[in-house]
Amino acid sequence: MNRERFEFLLDAYGADFRRWPAADRTAGEAFAAKHAEEASEAIRAAGALDRALDAARDDAIDTALLARRILRQRPRPWIDRRAAIALAACAVFGIALGYGAGTLAPAPDFDDAYFAAAFEAPFAIGDEG
Amino acid sequence: MIDPDAEFVRKAGAGDAGAAEAIVRRHLPRMVGLARRMLGDAAEAEDVAQEVFLRVWREAPRWKPGAAKFETWMHRVALNLCYDRLRRRREVLDADAGLAVADSNPLPSDARLAQQRAARVRAALAKLPERQRAAVALVHFQEMTNIAAAEMLEISVEALESLLARGRRALKAELAGVVQDLIGDADGVPRV
Repeated sequence: MNRERFEFLLDAYGADFRRWPAADRTAGEAFAAKHAEEASEAIRAAGALDRALDAARDDAIDTALLARRILRQRPRPWIDRRAAIALAACAVFGIALGYGAGTLAPAPDFDDAYFAAAFEAPFAIGDEG
Repeated sequence: MIDPDAEFVRKAGAGDAGAAEAIVRRHLPRMVGLARRMLGDAAEAEDVAQEVFLRVWREAPRWKPGAAKFETWMHRVALNLCYDRLRRRREVLDADAGLAVADSNPLPSDARLAQQRAARVRAALAKLPERQRAAVALVHFQEMTNIAAAEMLEISVEALESLLARGRRALKAELAGVVQDLIGDADGVPRV
């Protein structure tokens, strides 16, 4: 790294080498160490500008209220996931109950002829008795 | 390229409230901070942040991890919204605001001095051309790497460095008094 490149990077990124491009960081630190006397003034000036900029940091931005407002604006899915799970559980339970009740019910005593008779004239059943 | 937000975005897009909350928690302060530095106005910065997230909710269900990270896309959206607002109002902040405060109190306390410095720095930032201001905001205040900042501004790293160098030189000239004061306190050793 030459002096021109070092000073350009100092102008661009400041005196904190952590902000420098990764590829130039080590070379920059080595240049600063090797040419401490001639580089120190430029480093001091760049460091002072860094600190001046830091004076305008907004470290205490309170975004809690804004966050709540933003989250309220989030579009909701048409049905809540928990509601969907509850609905699905109800459906499964209902089907199982219906099926179980069907198999547990006593077999009818009537034979096919009895049901067939139901489609005939109303008096036909009465006549039997 | 691993995008740390990809999974949260996918889940938020599918309606997961926890993932949406995580995205807000992670990115909202940065969005507000960037917009504040670009616009110099806290209320407007909150409006911009809110608008960014409206777009996030709209895009999340169809977001596909691709060329840009989600964070990069969010910063681009925020910057474009800021540029739009700056274009609309074409308003130059009063660069002398900090000086006026300084004159009103010849013996300022430390806190007052810090406030005055902050006001002068904000005024100086407001005077920078938009792209230079954005470059300084991203690299110095948002602490983005040069590659990430260049992606957000959709320019090359060389162009970013040029914006940064010009921006910081202009700031150094504008804040000469503040910088000279601070040089007196400098230890001369860069932080590593």
